[in-house]
Amino acid sequence: MIRARLLLASCCFATSLAASAQAPGKPADPVTGEPAQPAAAAGDGGVASIATSTVGTGTGAAPVAAPPPPPKKIDPKLFDDALNDYFAGRPREAAPKLFEYTENVPSTDENYAWAQFFLARSLIELKLHHAGAVYLARIARERTNPAVLTKALAELQLFTDRAHDEVMIDEQVFGALDLGFLPEDIAGYAHYQQGLVDLRVGNERWATTHFAKLPEGGTEASRAKYAMLVTRLKQAKKDLPKEMIDQFFELAQDPKLTQDARNDAMLAVARLRYELADYTGALDAYNLVKLPSLDPGRAALYLEEAWTRYQLGQVHAAMGLLTTLDAPSFREEFLPDKFLLKALIYRDLCHYLPAKRSAKELTRRYSESLDAVRDRDDLTRDPRLLRAASARGSTRRARQFLESLELEGEQLGRFAGTFGERMFGYMTRLYDLSRAEAVRIYQQRLTEAVRVEADKLLRAAEQVRLMEYEVGLKLYERVKKGAKLVALIEEEPLKANQVSFKFTDEYWNDELRTYRFSLKSRCIEETAR
Amino acid sequence: MSARTLCAAAVSLALSLGSTALAQVNELENPGVTSAVQDRPYRLLHELDLWFGVLPLDAFYVGVFAQVGYVYHFTDRFAWQVGRGAYGLAARTSLRSELERTFGVQPTANDEVQFFVGSDVMWKPLYGKLAVMNRLVIHGEVHLLGGVSLFRFTNSGFRPGINLGGGGRIFLNKWVSFRLDITHNVVIPTGGGTTSFANVMTANLALALNFGGND
Repeated sequence: MIRARLLLASCCFATSLAASAQAPGKPADPVTGEPAQPAAAAGDGGVASIATSTVGTGTGAAPVAAPPPPPKKIDPKLFDDALNDYFAGRPREAAPKLFEYTENVPSTDENYAWAQFFLARSLIELKLHHAGAVYLARIARERTNPAVLTKALAELQLFTDRAHDEVMIDEQVFGALDLGFLPEDIAGYAHYQQGLVDLRVGNERWATTHFAKLPEGGTEASRAKYAMLVTRLKQAKKDLPKEMIDQFFELAQDPKLTQDARNDAMLAVARLRYELADYTGALDAYNLVKLPSLDPGRAALYLEEAWTRYQLGQVHAAMGLLTTLDAPSFREEFLPDKFLLKALIYRDLCHYLPAKRSAKELTRRYSESLDAVRDRDDLTRDPRLLRAASARGSTRRARQFLESLELEGEQLGRFAGTFGERMFGYMTRLYDLSRAEAVRIYQQRLTEAVRVEADKLLRAAEQVRLMEYEVGLKLYERVKKGAKLVALIEEEPLKANQVSFKFTDEYWNDELRTYRFSLKSRCIEETAR
Repeated sequence: MSARTLCAAAVSLALSLGSTALAQVNELENPGVTSAVQDRPYRLLHELDLWFGVLPLDAFYVGVFAQVGYVYHFTDRFAWQVGRGAYGLAARTSLRSELERTFGVQPTANDEVQFFVGSDVMWKPLYGKLAVMNRLVIHGEVHLLGGVSLFRFTNSGFRPGINLGGGGRIFLNKWVSFRLDITHNVVIPTGGGTTSFANVMTANLALALNFGGND
């Protein structure tokens, strides 16, 4: 977005100069960075200025802009009318009035910042969240009224819980705030965000300085601890520090964190214990992950738990969890390991044909993706890899933000009549530019994420080939005369307080974690081999 | 044996062999059985019931009654309804009013249930769950009842009966459940000069308070 803004701003330099001469002290446009155009000049809805700018970029010549008409005089009652509309629950009527007000009064006007704030609130209530956030960010950048600034920051903080423009809100607003004048709670959040930005660029010392200023016992302090631990975990690639397990465990019990964050901390505990071959401890940690009632949960959780149970020799329970992963909720999940584990379990129970079939299932199901990798195609075009890559981490957030922009962009059309030509044109431009930037960021993250997923797939495919070979050898192994079947792996009997529902291809969310597979081992006595 | 019979036998043999082979192939390809093994979320031990019910069978009156009962659950499948006691009120039907008004039948001529007590054993073979609008899962069970009752009739006095019936329960939480029972009492003709069997059907709904089962 910054790049687009700079480009557009430089291209519109001549136009901007003319405009700023007409409206001294006018704040920068939140979309393009250029000063706002007077009402009459925007009769074309702002499209002309973008078109002119584009031509200017190509040729390097500044276009000759027609002199804009003088700024419109605004009746001060317009602001009061708009506020009346807003507080009467009519944000649709309030928004165009507030827009007109903000576009036609200087930033030194006493109601200017309030008008921006209520315009933002109106847009948010009309479900144009991004447009609202743009105005709130503008208040944070301009800082014309300290009372409004605090409210705007509090509103922006709420945005961070949903898909939002991370560059604009996290980095440009909270990451760049001067923290001296802020109330404690907002300063705490800003310190946390600035610490995160420092962590992202690898500056742990600066991040620690910010995190040290967080009030002890607050939500941000807990989140900061989690962020620090995750960063250290990423850095400690070979020797896993054991004390980190306790620290993650402590965080997983912290009520100030959201349940999702606590679950993430508990998953980290489980993974660390697994890496240290403490499978019982890992299983205990997986069992402590709390899911909301009837929530299908996470596929990664089930797969990891299945591996842990497999390592503990609980192959029937592990296979039950693999049944869970076939549920419709997880049908789109990218889990190549699943087939490998299934094949391993069948092999351990000496059911070699199903083992071979499970192993082959991976190459069959992901054949197109594997071909795409081998042919060095554009992996972002492969639907399975694309889905897998855009379902996690920062790529997921970028996708969600892009989707929300597209949805809001479509919703904007409903307000074409109410907003008036100028405001509608302005909003359309705003969404078009934001969407273009969101697409760029999403593609950038996707390219990296898709490569990671492709690596995962290739590794699993390699394991599967080894498995097929091993099972092939076992299939044709000679069985000696007098050999007896031996149950090497016992199934856990049903307890008195338990109830068993036979699975008949109907998945119930409350059962997803409780499936148990029953299959007798066909392994032959060791002595008979 | 005619050719047609032979042909039919051959076809049926081929079909049965085919289906057996198919089952074997399926067993080879997808061996094993999967079950959801869950801890019972609701278990019962001591149960106190507060009942409201009707006696719908008599054409001359509809009895409504309130009942209190206690059940001890030995296991998840077997329980003893140690005691239950009910007191009823009779609401006259239009038939009875018609008889009294048109044919001069005495109001005391009909034998009505005044109160009754009893004890039953419970067998709970069915336990399950229901998905409510795909948003909620509720658990419940179905039980069968068999026991004895002692009735006090307005005219014939005390008479014993054999009680058979069944019902269902929906769990609200670990401490509260709702129970609906429908039972039929065959009242033995002893006492009060009666010579014929009487039938008393009860349909009743209970608020069941559960103690100690989930500890």
